Amino acid sequence: MSEMWINMGPQHPMTHGLWNLRVQIDGELVRAVDPEMGYLHRGIEKISEDRHYNEVITLMDRCCYVAGMAWEHLYILGAEAALQVRPPERADYLRVLCDEFQRLGSHLMWYAAFVQDLGLMSPFLYGMRDRDLVLDLFQSFTGARMTYEYMRVGGVRNDLPPGFADRSRKVLDWLDDRFREYDALCLGSTIFRKRCDGLGVLKGPEAIAHGVTGPMLRAAGVKRDLRKDRPYSAYDRVDFDVALADSADVTGRYLVRMEEMRQSVRILRQVLDWLDHHPGPVVADRLPRWLGAPYAPVGAEGYLLKRNYPKGLGLSAIEEPHGEALSYVVNDGGEHPYRVKFRSPVFANLSAASTYLVGYHVADIPPIMGSVDVCVGEVDR
Amino acid sequence: MTDGTAGTAATQAPEENPVLYVARPMATAARQFVKSLVRPSTIVYPYERLEDPRFRGEVAVASGKPIGVGAVWDNYRGVHALNIATCISCNLCAFSCPDLCIEMVTVPGGDPKHPKKCPQIDYGKCSYCGFCSDACPEGCLTMTTRYELSTPKRSEMVYSPQKLNEVFRSKLPMNPIRLERPENEDRILLDPPLCIGCNACARDCPTACITMLDVPKPEGKPGAKLPKRIWKEPVVNDSDCVRCGTCISVCPKECLFWGSRP
Repeated sequence: MSEMWINMGPQHPMTHGLWNLRVQIDGELVRAVDPEMGYLHRGIEKISEDRHYNEVITLMDRCCYVAGMAWEHLYILGAEAALQVRPPERADYLRVLCDEFQRLGSHLMWYAAFVQDLGLMSPFLYGMRDRDLVLDLFQSFTGARMTYEYMRVGGVRNDLPPGFADRSRKVLDWLDDRFREYDALCLGSTIFRKRCDGLGVLKGPEAIAHGVTGPMLRAAGVKRDLRKDRPYSAYDRVDFDVALADSADVTGRYLVRMEEMRQSVRILRQVLDWLDHHPGPVVADRLPRWLGAPYAPVGAEGYLLKRNYPKGLGLSAIEEPHGEALSYVVNDGGEHPYRVKFRSPVFANLSAASTYLVGYHVADIPPIMGSVDVCVGEVDR
Repeated sequence: MTDGTAGTAATQAPEENPVLYVARPMATAARQFVKSLVRPSTIVYPYERLEDPRFRGEVAVASGKPIGVGAVWDNYRGVHALNIATCISCNLCAFSCPDLCIEMVTVPGGDPKHPKKCPQIDYGKCSYCGFCSDACPEGCLTMTTRYELSTPKRSEMVYSPQKLNEVFRSKLPMNPIRLERPENEDRILLDPPLCIGCNACARDCPTACITMLDVPKPEGKPGAKLPKRIWKEPVVNDSDCVRCGTCISVCPKECLFWGSRP
């Protein structure tokens, strides 16, 4: 039979963002795939070199638009390592709180988009509705729903407003019930299972060879979670389990993300209890003036260069909702970072597309790519 | 599933009556539909607003049941409000803006030698990050809950200080967050051998916290050449200083700098 290449993207309902999946098909079978990224490149790493350390945070929210808080945290950890600043303990817990709420928001967004790829409209509405509660909570203490600008070098911007803990506990109780409903709608549905079971199999050794991380790797039964393996912030002081599945297919990734949301709720309950009983400062009390805490650095260009400020390299890695992200910040003693570099987990997950798409049918591509959880903003940066 | 192994669920699709596997998810959806008849899951925007006082306690209505995510609107970062009367023209908002959308323009009220300058904000560029209101030492630039900005003219996106002052006078709820200054904040220090006593820092200081004090002339050998300068040096009153750095940027000899020495 004759073979041909088709373009799924850059404007295609399957892609969830601006990228192009070129597929070589033979009848209904996928013979080869060629993912093309780069349509959303904004030069965020280069722009960061021209901004003060705190101003880079405004770019991080635009870097990944469904997990902005996780990317703020990633950059801040790198910048703090480069500048040799330690945040107070309460700020550590607040960052864990932000990270886990963001994980809930991101996974709910993934759930909504994924079930819509399968053609299920009602679960999509439920996912978006419940994500809105998380966004409401974010708005109540950062002032915005998507672009939070909440973290600062050496801490966070402000403390939680009064009554926040009670409101978020209500949301967590509400979400706990909803997870059961999602499972009844999806796992209990034979249509869902027949479209997802055994699709897009990516086994552990192959996933590791391609640098695939996050829920895709854990769905293959590999126990790898940076929150456990290399704890950052306050993750070594909270109790949770690593979500695992062994089927390595689309259903396995669904199960892992659902379990991760339950674990996030568990972490959040512990963090909220800790925050109730340990008031304190949220910003380090001794910061270099030019870091802008709370004010931004000013002055004639170059006046800092004749003084000796600490230099250093910062490297940080966090478990972002999509996988393992890494940041590298070089501080050469100036007002701006000399170089900022990020590792995007979704870029690696997408680059391995040929391993989990070849051999399946064209109609299987939307559910398989939906289970990858693509966020192109961080792929291209 | 409490042990974290999500894969223990059946990996094979359950075989069952085809009528049941259509009917069961539909029953869940129908339950939600009936609830949404009582109360929609969303705020019906042009008719209801999230900032309405009646939503203050009980926002985020999910499927007919208010679960009480209250006060989501209190810290909102919307259009700025500027109190011109308390603005000290320190420039910190313009310096801290990542989008360079703040320009300091002259407003009436200053003397001819030292014109009063207040921020003018271009909302075509603004990203509402709030760094400017965080930086404002006097609390005169704050953010409000106003967010409807659409206009047919691009020039109307630029808000002059007077227009921002009208927003302030309209008594919209203000963002209550005020950042506290760290206790051991860096302060302005002087490199005495470089100073020429030119008075530029004291002249431009927005809070007038710099005074020029006399320094004694060094007693060298008679006839030795003394450096050509005015024998005065700036002394900064740290409790009044807002750390704006204007003195550093106007100093012609770069003899002022940030430091932590007592």
